[in-house]
Amino acid sequence: MAETGTPERAAVLSDPMEGHTAKAFDGALTQLRLHTVGMGGLVIDQVSTAVRALLDADARLAQTVLSREQQVNDMERAVDREAFELIALHQPVAGDLRMATAVSRITVELERAGDESKKIARFAARMASGEPQGPVRAVARYLQHMAELTSGMLRDAVLALDDSNSDLADRVRARDSELDAEFAAALRQLLTLAMQDQRYLGVTIDTVFALKGLERIGDHAKNIAEQVVFVASGRDERHKKPQ
Amino acid sequence: MRAVSAGSATASKTVEAALKGKHRDVRGQLFATGLLLMLLLSLALLVVLVVSVLIDAWPTLSSRGVSFLTSNVSSFPEKAGVRQGIVGSIILIMFVALLAVPIGVAAAIYLEEYAPKNWFSAIIEINVTNLAGVPSIVYGLLALGLFVYQFDLGQSIAAAGLTLALLILPIVIVATRESIRSVPNAIREAAYGLGATRWEVTKDHVLPYSTGGILTGMILGLSRAIGETAPIITIGALSFIAFLPQSPIQSEFPFISFAWLKDPFTAMPIQMFNWVSRPDQAFQANAAAAGAILLGMTLIMNGLAIWIRYRFRKKINW
Amino acid sequence: MEATVANDEAARNTHTGAGQAGPATPRVSIAVDDTRKTRTLNVKAAVDSLSFYYGQHRALKNLTIPIAERQVTALIGPSGCGKSTFLRCFNRMHDLQPDTRYEGSITLHPDNLNLIGAGVDPIEVRMRIGMVFQKPNPFPKSVFENVAYGLRLRGVRNRATLAEEVEKALRGAALWDEVKDRLQDSALALSGGQMQRLCIARALATTPEILLFDEPTSALDPIATAKIEELISTLRDQVTVLIVTHNMQQAARVSDYTAFMYLGELIEFDEAAKIFTNPAKKATEDYITGRYG
Repeated sequence: MAETGTPERAAVLSDPMEGHTAKAFDGALTQLRLHTVGMGGLVIDQVSTAVRALLDADARLAQTVLSREQQVNDMERAVDREAFELIALHQPVAGDLRMATAVSRITVELERAGDESKKIARFAARMASGEPQGPVRAVARYLQHMAELTSGMLRDAVLALDDSNSDLADRVRARDSELDAEFAAALRQLLTLAMQDQRYLGVTIDTVFALKGLERIGDHAKNIAEQVVFVASGRDERHKKPQ
Repeated sequence: MRAVSAGSATASKTVEAALKGKHRDVRGQLFATGLLLMLLLSLALLVVLVVSVLIDAWPTLSSRGVSFLTSNVSSFPEKAGVRQGIVGSIILIMFVALLAVPIGVAAAIYLEEYAPKNWFSAIIEINVTNLAGVPSIVYGLLALGLFVYQFDLGQSIAAAGLTLALLILPIVIVATRESIRSVPNAIREAAYGLGATRWEVTKDHVLPYSTGGILTGMILGLSRAIGETAPIITIGALSFIAFLPQSPIQSEFPFISFAWLKDPFTAMPIQMFNWVSRPDQAFQANAAAAGAILLGMTLIMNGLAIWIRYRFRKKINW
Repeated sequence: MEATVANDEAARNTHTGAGQAGPATPRVSIAVDDTRKTRTLNVKAAVDSLSFYYGQHRALKNLTIPIAERQVTALIGPSGCGKSTFLRCFNRMHDLQPDTRYEGSITLHPDNLNLIGAGVDPIEVRMRIGMVFQKPNPFPKSVFENVAYGLRLRGVRNRATLAEEVEKALRGAALWDEVKDRLQDSALALSGGQMQRLCIARALATTPEILLFDEPTSALDPIATAKIEELISTLRDQVTVLIVTHNMQQAARVSDYTAFMYLGELIEFDEAAKIFTNPAKKATEDYITGRYG
């Protein structure tokens, strides 16, 4: 599936096979987790590739992201359907039910994260075809940093899902505020630039959108982490501040 | 993979052949035929018995008809009849029924429903079953010593009745127990669950549902009693009695008399035994005729038992 | 984990409200997870440190559970965990077997009667607690006589009263319409599901305070099962229900409170919604997700 050494291969099966009475059910649960993690890996790669494309003004990389967008959408539908059928056919309860429900929500978050990276890739394609580089250069550092943060959050959220690691998920949630702070700083930088030099207003606005996109991807990673906490402990942490 | 599918192909061929009947189950068929032969043999023996009795009895019965049933004993074979025998037998089995059934049923109920299941009740159960197999002449001897002499009942209906009642008591007890056992425990639980006491469970459920079996057991016991010869000979049922026992109903106060209990009497088997021992050929014929009558009575009673069982089984199917 | 059921003094004292005349009915304060408010319910039967012995073998170990009034409480657990044994303590069915012994108490409210007390007559207990068994066991009598039997035991003789009560019970068991024209027919002519509803009617006729169900649908087909589950749901308004089931989906569908038992012990007791979405004990989770055995 992946071309650029994706995290999905790092998503090791760590499912504790404790001898489910219905082997088919157990297999289905494992597959569900595996496929969700696989989708996570693809989206993580989309994000980092899109940002790379923007920073290097690389049209080829941008095209890679855009061509894989359909794959992300297809995976959302497929995994969601898998979760849905698991509920219908196996009547899961407790932890298994929480897993199936969480997967349905996680795929939505991943798909939206994929959408954001698509938008960044489109911007990158425009930049690569000769738009003024000024605004992007000005916040390159922020872009880089936010991309690292966000990718890290996504990666850890997916890892936490694979391991049912509630603590890791909580740490992901905590990092969201750092991401927001980074976004605010980048925004100030751009505003200063825009007020000083109004020539590149269009590109500046697009850059703001790109930064916002990264911030939103971080939000999606946080939402995924909340679902991981739900699966592991039954706590519904949505719309709550992390402790 | 290939080996597996080859194996399963052979297996399915065998199954197919068996289903289509091409594979002959020789031993099975031999067995079934053997069973059938045994059944026919038993039936044949029974038929031979009945037919021979009827053949022997036919001349007497056809020539004398009902008068055979209504005539008294006589030294003259052509005038002798089984009236005392029939009456004696009927009175006897009524007496036996009145004695054996209440005692037997009550004992069985106690053993099944009330007695705690321990080693003691197990011993009782074994002994009751064994008693059913005791030779009837032993009962006769017991009766002679106990009833005739010790209780001073003499050679009377009372003594004979008590003896035969003892004889068939185990049969009644066992039949009643089996019948009670066949009432599923679920029914008892349901009744207890509604708040019934043990007495109510027995009275409202266990007894009514086992009635069929109890009646069957009773009739089977009685049809055995009606044919028992040895014990009542031992007691001394006379074979020549001119008169019938006194009627239990009198015209004067107190209107019921028990004198008949101590009267001497006879019964069908005795009558037959007596006639058979006489040299006169005509008495032999009479004996055969009496035998046919006795056979008829027994068959009627058994038929009644079967019919009762059928009627009750229709109502109650566990 | 938040939701544990506490039969504690504090709850009792707090919820005996002002203006309550008569003996204070103990209540159970059940704090559910934070999305729902706390509910208080009357306790119909309080099981306290109940142990049960078959001879020397201790089949039930120190059970303490509140049975809420007019709610359905389900007992689940693997075979041999003691749930049926526990159920049968409520109507003293164990007294029919030799060499059995109870310890602890089951206190029936509001009269504070200890159902398993030594001085308490089992017949009196069974008059107040009804039972429906696993395999339908109607008497081989007519439909009418089946339902009327419990009433007859209690001395009701009047024909009109009997007819009225029988109809009421049959309606309560959702069977009236199907049998109203065949009241005198044999009960054994009914289908399995109908027979079981007849047994329910039979138990209802005596207006029991608690109705015990011992795996009532395990011998029935899915449609009959669904009807009976529906019936149990409606019975909740009239009578307290305690049901043993080995079918977890049934427990999830039907019960308000669920108790998970294992090897004679109570492992977890909580609202059904909590047990089936997020049980507190791993043993419970293992069992209900099928990872047990």
